[in-house]
Parts: sequence; structure tokens; C-alpha cells
Amino acid sequence: MRKEGATVAAAETMPGDAVRIENLTKVYPSGIQALADVSLTVHGGEFLVVLGLSGSGKSTLLRCINRLIDPTAGRIWIFGNEITAAEGSELRASRAQIGMIFQQFNLVRRQSVLLNVLSGALGRAPFFSSLVARFPEEEAERARACLERVDLGGRGASRADALSGGQQQRVAIARALMQQPRLILADEPVASLDPALRHSVMRHIEALNREEGMTVVCTLHDIDLIQRYATRLVALRDGRLVYKGRPDDFNGETFREIYGQDAVPTSTLTT
Amino acid sequence: MTEPITVATGPEPRWRRDLTRLQAIAIDVVLWVLALLMIDFLVIAFSGRRGPTGLLVTPEEVLLLLHYGWVAVAAVTLATVWHLARGILGAPPGGALIYGVPEEERDVPWTQTFRGWFVALLIQLTLFSGWLITEVQLVTFLTKFSKASDIIRGLLHPSGEILQQGLVLLVQTIFLAFMATAFAIPLAFVLSFLAARNLTRRNRLSRLAYTLVRAGMNFTRAVEPLVWALIFISWVGIGPFAGVLALWVHSVAALIKLYSEQVESIDPGPVEAITATGASAIQVLRYGVVPQVIPPFLSFTIYRWDINVRMSTIIGFVGGGGIGYILKPRVDLGQWGEVGTLVLLIALTVWVMDILSAKIRERIV
Repeated sequence: MRKEGATVAAAETMPGDAVRIENLTKVYPSGIQALADVSLTVHGGEFLVVLGLSGSGKSTLLRCINRLIDPTAGRIWIFGNEITAAEGSELRASRAQIGMIFQQFNLVRRQSVLLNVLSGALGRAPFFSSLVARFPEEEAERARACLERVDLGGRGASRADALSGGQQQRVAIARALMQQPRLILADEPVASLDPALRHSVMRHIEALNREEGMTVVCTLHDIDLIQRYATRLVALRDGRLVYKGRPDDFNGETFREIYGQDAVPTSTLTT
Repeated sequence: MTEPITVATGPEPRWRRDLTRLQAIAIDVVLWVLALLMIDFLVIAFSGRRGPTGLLVTPEEVLLLLHYGWVAVAAVTLATVWHLARGILGAPPGGALIYGVPEEERDVPWTQTFRGWFVALLIQLTLFSGWLITEVQLVTFLTKFSKASDIIRGLLHPSGEILQQGLVLLVQTIFLAFMATAFAIPLAFVLSFLAARNLTRRNRLSRLAYTLVRAGMNFTRAVEPLVWALIFISWVGIGPFAGVLALWVHSVAALIKLYSEQVESIDPGPVEAITATGASAIQVLRYGVVPQVIPPFLSFTIYRWDINVRMSTIIGFVGGGGIGYILKPRVDLGQWGEVGTLVLLIALTVWVMDILSAKIRERIV
């Protein structure tokens, strides 16, 4: 699948590019093709929204960027370093600079909020002391500051599953923030939340983008969230990149183009 | 995670279809063999023939007289015929098991299918043959109670003489079970992660470890604790330590099974999240897996201690220490009063352990 131009493309990678993807293809062992020849560049500092129906390959694309899923073909650069075949400490170092936020929050439910946030520091924590959950005081201090950032200061001692959905997602954002990442991947971060809570969570992700200069790649469905937060859009259909555009050009027409003629644009205000 | 799109796959390969059909026929052959053998068995048993002992034939003698070769040939023939003529006779049981009951036979009551009658016959035959093979004697069971009344009277009138010795050994029994469980925990804890499918898919080495741990576990579990006790008695000598070791080996295998099933049913989300932070495999285990499995692990461990208390009685019969050690000679000598005391002590302990472990497990999970 790899094109001759791929190496040239590597040379062309701008120092400011956060992610560069060339001809990415993923076929699962079951024969399901999730991504087909996707090429995409994520510029440093942008808030890129990925659109598409369930099953269009959005989750797979995000998970290829931090190699939670190994691509079948194609190449991936993160901040100029190729990580397509990275292993061991090189792969972990790459993952450590990419924070990830999940639809189902993926907190360790029985553990304290603070320990959940601290686990964001595992990529740089001393190995043996991390095994007995002893983190340096400055890390604990930083974790508390991260919780403060997402308006959950003082909840550190609570068990994670004692919090509401919106609060749990903010803990997950604090965990990602704890990594001090340069890139945030957010996989449907508000799809499991009440519409009324969606903006409160999105605003925190936006703050990381605007105030900390972190690049964000986020999958979203709601048209008003897209128009409000995205700086650029791409869309996937059946594993192929079918649309690139600006949120200003995005309207009901383009929405139906991506989602099919029967789709009705939804917004958090109307759902 | 969202559902990825499907790529059209070709038809099933021919060899796999043939294999499935062979499987269906094989099941039918086995069922026919069973049916025919039992018919043969019953015919011989009721023919009134006398065996070499001069008595009416005993189950062992009948089993020796069976026509195994004929039965095998007949079974293969019948199964194949039924399979080929399934359009007329309806789906055979093996076919129904592998492919599911065909659409047109779903609503037919079992009395109107050949398969239904065949299965009913098979169940009848099993019941009759079982009755003969296990030599069920209902009349004796109902009329000869008086012979056992001595034992039962003894059990109901416990003797106080052995109470003190019994209590001392009961304490030993409980600690024996406790030590066996305690020694089993660390080993089972470490090995259970290697015995969990979801953690060992990643590379060839871990898949090998999975296979080895699973095989070792199943082998160890298959050997009775009583046999382990005999092994360890010749190893470390008669006494409670041999019992501890015997129960330890068995507990390790049992706990690996229970623990690893728990590991396999964890929520993969946190594991994914911890992996995404750049944590190493061990850190992922520590932060993503272990917190999810600690409460069920505790619960299973207490349950295992409970089981070990019950098992240690039997271990004591062969010299593995504990209360069984003084129980066995009294059973052999027919000192039923003393046996009654000891049985009562064991029953009380098991009862208390059962209530306690249920209460604690309720609290934890």
C-alpha cells in the first residue's frame, strides 16, 4: 500500500505538524476493514474534529495515532518522529506525550480520584515506587493542580465511581492533563453525557487547546458543538477520508453528504 | 469502540463444511453406539442366562458379553443412513446439535419426530441400564434400616471423652486449611494473569505461558488432594505439614482458575486508558487490572479457605494431620459415639465457616 512518495512526505513534515498520517490502512483479523488508505496531517495547535457514522473508522484512526491499535499498512509520524513500528520505551515515550479521553471515561472505578489522575504520570514515574503507588510529592501536587483545573479540587479522596458522569469525564481530562501532553485524542468525549453537561466538558478540552496550546483531535457528532469548538473538520465514511473543511462551511448540506441523506443534524440543544 | 464496517467474505471453505458434517455424523454415531450397547446390555441381562459364577449374570459379566464390534458397525450404518435420509426421517440429533433444528421442524412436537422418539428412548435406556449397573436394590434400602441403627444411635449420642482431643485437632484443622490457603495466594495471584486469555494474546511468548499454566493447572486439579497427601506424606512425613502441602497444591490450581476467570471478565476500558498514558506492561497490570480484581480475589480466597477446612478432614484420614487423623481409627473400630462427637465438631466448624465466608464476601463485593 505504501506509496513511493511516503519518504518524501516525511521530509516534508513541517516542524509544526503534530501528526502526519500516510496511506493508513487497518484490516482487523476478522476481515473487517476499518481504515482504507487514509492520509491526514494534524497541524500543531489546531482543534481537529473527526466526523462520521459509527463504524466509519474514527475510533480506529484515533487509536492508531497512539498505537493502541497496530495499523496494517501506512505510516504515522508524531511531532516529526515516525512511530509506525516503534516498540518498548520508544512507543511508551510517544504515548506519554499523547493524552487520551474516552467515551466511557475509563477510570479505575474503585480507586480514588487522585490516584486516577496520578496514573497519568506513569509514563515518567520511577518504576518500583509506582508499583507501590508512591509518587513524588511534586507529582501529587501537580495532580491536585490538575483536579483544580477541571473544577474538582477537593474531590481527590473520593472514589472515582462516586462521581457523576460529567465529573468522571473531568477526572479523565485531569488524568490526560497530568501527562503534560502535547496532543489530546478525545474519542466521543461527550457522547455518554447528558446534553446539558456537554458544553461544560467541551469547554475544559477547549481550554487545553487555547490556553496550553495542546493540539486536539476529537470525534464529535453534534452540529452545534462542531461549529462552536472545531477549527477544522475531516470526515470518514467506510474507513475513507471523504471530507475536509472549515466549521464555517459546515451546514446541513455537508452533514447529509457525510452521514447519508436520511440523517438529521442534531445539536445538544435539541436532543 | 464503534463497530467497524464489514468487508464481504467469501463462502466457507469446503474442507470446513465437510469437517462440520463429519462432526454431526460422529455425534450421531456415538449416540447410536450408546443406544445399541444399552439395548444389548438389557437383552443379555433379562435373557435369564447364567454366567460363569452360576448365578444370574451380574453387571460385570454382562459388560463382558456385549457385542462391541457389531454395535459399532450397526451404529455407523444407522447414523449414516439417517444422515443421508434426513429429508424423510427429519434431522438426526447430531445434525440438530451442530446446525440447529431446521426451520420446518421447529414447531413440530417431539412426539411427531423420529429424533424426539430416539432421544426419549435413549433416556429410558440410560435409566434402566444405570439401575442394573449400579445394582440398585430398593427393597433392601427400605427394609434393612435396623442394621445401621447402631451407627446412627452412636452418632446421635456423642461421647464426651474425645471432646478435648477433638477440639485441639479441630484448631489444627482450621490452621492447616488457613496455611494451605495463605501459601497458595501469592503463587496463584502471579500465575492467574498468565492464565487469562485477554492478557496473553499479545505475543507468542505469552501465548506459550498461557498454554503451559493452563495445562499445569488442569493436571494439578485433576489429581485428587488425597493423592497429593500420599505424595507429600512420603516426602515430608506423616503430620499436618503434609496436609498443608497437599491442600496448597490443590488450592493453587483451583485459585488460578477462579482468579483468571475474574481477570478475563474485567472492563478493558481502564486497561486501554492506562496503556495510553505510556505505562509499561507491569504498570498497566498494576493500575488497570489489579484494582478491578482485588475484591473478587478476596472473596474467592475466603471461599477457598472454607473448602480447605472441609477437605482437610479427608486429608487427615491418610495421615495428613487435623481432625481426620483421629476420626479414621474410630470409624474402623466402630466407636460410633466418638465418631459422632468428631462429626459434630466438623459440622459445626463448616457451618460457622460457611456463614462467615458468605457474610464477608457479601461485604466485599
